[in-house]
Amino acid sequence: MFKKVLIANRGEIALRILRACRALGVESVVAYSEADRESLPVGLADEAICIGPAEAQRSYLSAPAVISAALVTGCDAIHPGYGFLSEDEGFAEVVAAHGVTFIGPPANVLERFASKAGTRELLGAHGLPTIPGSEGMLRDDQHALAEAERIGYPVLVKPSAGGGGKGMRMVRTSRELESVLKVCRSEAKAAFGDDSLYLEKWLDENRHVEVQVAVDRYGHGVHLGERDCSVQRRHQKILEESPTPALTPAARAELADRAVRAVVAAGYENIGTLEFLVDAHGDFFFIEINCRIQVEHPVTEAVTGLDLVAMQMRIAAGEPLGITQADIDFEGHAIEFRINAEDAANDFRPGAGTVERYHAPGGPGVRMDSHLFTGYDVPPYYDSLLGKLIVWGPDRATAIARGRVALEELVIEGITTNVDIHQALLASETFLDGRMTTNLLDRVGSAAFLAAAARV
Amino acid sequence: MSRPTSRDTRLERDPAERAADHAAIDRLTDELLPALIAKLGATGLGELEVREGAWRVRLRRPGGPATRDRRATDRVAERGSDRAHQSSSRPGHVTPHATARSESRSVATSPAVGIFQPRKDLTAGARVRAGDRLGAVDMLGVAQEVVAPMDGMVGTSLVEAGEAVEYGQDLITIEFGVRPSTNGTGPS
Repeated sequence: MFKKVLIANRGEIALRILRACRALGVESVVAYSEADRESLPVGLADEAICIGPAEAQRSYLSAPAVISAALVTGCDAIHPGYGFLSEDEGFAEVVAAHGVTFIGPPANVLERFASKAGTRELLGAHGLPTIPGSEGMLRDDQHALAEAERIGYPVLVKPSAGGGGKGMRMVRTSRELESVLKVCRSEAKAAFGDDSLYLEKWLDENRHVEVQVAVDRYGHGVHLGERDCSVQRRHQKILEESPTPALTPAARAELADRAVRAVVAAGYENIGTLEFLVDAHGDFFFIEINCRIQVEHPVTEAVTGLDLVAMQMRIAAGEPLGITQADIDFEGHAIEFRINAEDAANDFRPGAGTVERYHAPGGPGVRMDSHLFTGYDVPPYYDSLLGKLIVWGPDRATAIARGRVALEELVIEGITTNVDIHQALLASETFLDGRMTTNLLDRVGSAAFLAAAARV
Repeated sequence: MSRPTSRDTRLERDPAERAADHAAIDRLTDELLPALIAKLGATGLGELEVREGAWRVRLRRPGGPATRDRRATDRVAERGSDRAHQSSSRPGHVTPHATARSESRSVATSPAVGIFQPRKDLTAGARVRAGDRLGAVDMLGVAQEVVAPMDGMVGTSLVEAGEAVEYGQDLITIEFGVRPSTNGTGPS
């Protein structure tokens, strides 16, 4: 195991990694930007080091600053968290060149899975059904039209780089496609500096289900079940749960089993997530892999009792998994609510400001992962995630009941949060019946969704 | 310090009054202003106003990274009490240093996280101009320049050559030539 880990992230995930390090008896250093000097991870850290100004490009996204911080503090590993440098194979390579371990897949593995189209092909060759899509990137409008014709409308236009719904459009006709290509290119260019696009078959009424896997350096892999992330708005997840209500136990087992066999065969290493779309018939199609710890990992921790961050660190340190599939028990049902600083009634406008009062809920099966405290200034520079409320129960109904109580108990004053959208979800018949699809919120719009819930 | 009490009398001042006004203006630009600028830099305040008799001087920060130094000091002070900083004696540990700013000095800070090397010929007492190179911080082999924040004399080195520093850390104090008299002035 490592002696000392540099935590190169912020917010709740920096806190989560700090806790994992302490549980493993590993020293840690929190790397922070000037905007996060007063943050909870920095305040709780054994050691902290300022790596740059608020601007992420010069702090959390600066590979030289992060690596230099690791070297001057004597760290032998860097945990990148999620976002920022977490899936940057160039960063992972430079980290390794400085004799420091990147906590995640090694650079060559990240590189193998870097291209979305390439990964679909690779895992398709190892037995996973993949979502039909364009062959490589779109060369021009003519190529786009021809590929869309071949795949069949509706199709989703997606940028090769990045995520978060930017540059993504669903189109149902060739005329629509022609009209959105320019917009998608310019949005992708502005957001990621890369305007290459590809097409994916769009499934109406689809569910988003992902499989958590863990594979050690010696090719031993297990799956840790699946998470249903169908509750989204504009392709961004806001609530996740496990197990998925979309599939039967037999179908879930088959999906997870095929996923782990494919990634082991394709040479994946460390923890990872395979994302699938599940159609109305229960057929599943692989879309992409996330080579990092994910925001929603506590859902899996709640139903398996495992510590995924510790597991990620052990694998990166070269330890064998030490467990087989038969050792992993899945118990009960867990739901995670992402608490964001945003106004659901006003088009999810992001917010920043001072938390005037904060109280985290408690009780059986309730976990709150958050970096908030009363008096904390939420800086405007980073993403809007304030924390994650995770509830567990022996069954879905109990988890939902505990979720209602916990959301009611949660106090965040001073900034607008999306707690009301979660409360509306827990009043939605579609959600309560487990029939939600990825367009649950976008179909009606969040304001209308809230209004409908208020009438119930 | 004297000053005409009404605009109407401005043109009717006698030579003695005019001389006194010029002396006051000289003192403001030479002594008080640099001191106030340093104070503004050290406190993290957005605006500072000093009144003395009928004179009034107001400084406003142009916006930008501001509050760093005060906060660093507070944090060290807050944490100093208990468990927190037993780690400061460990090798490689970097702690934000309490700021050494006052009316008569300013501090050159680190532009990056890395290893600090002062300029070889740098000696205490040497005169420097704002922007002069005082040394560098090596960040993964790339030298990031440490520069004097303003005109003055090189004062104390707060960090040894070859020591690890973090972004924004205080490195070298710059003393002003003349210690201003603050008699009768103060932020209002």
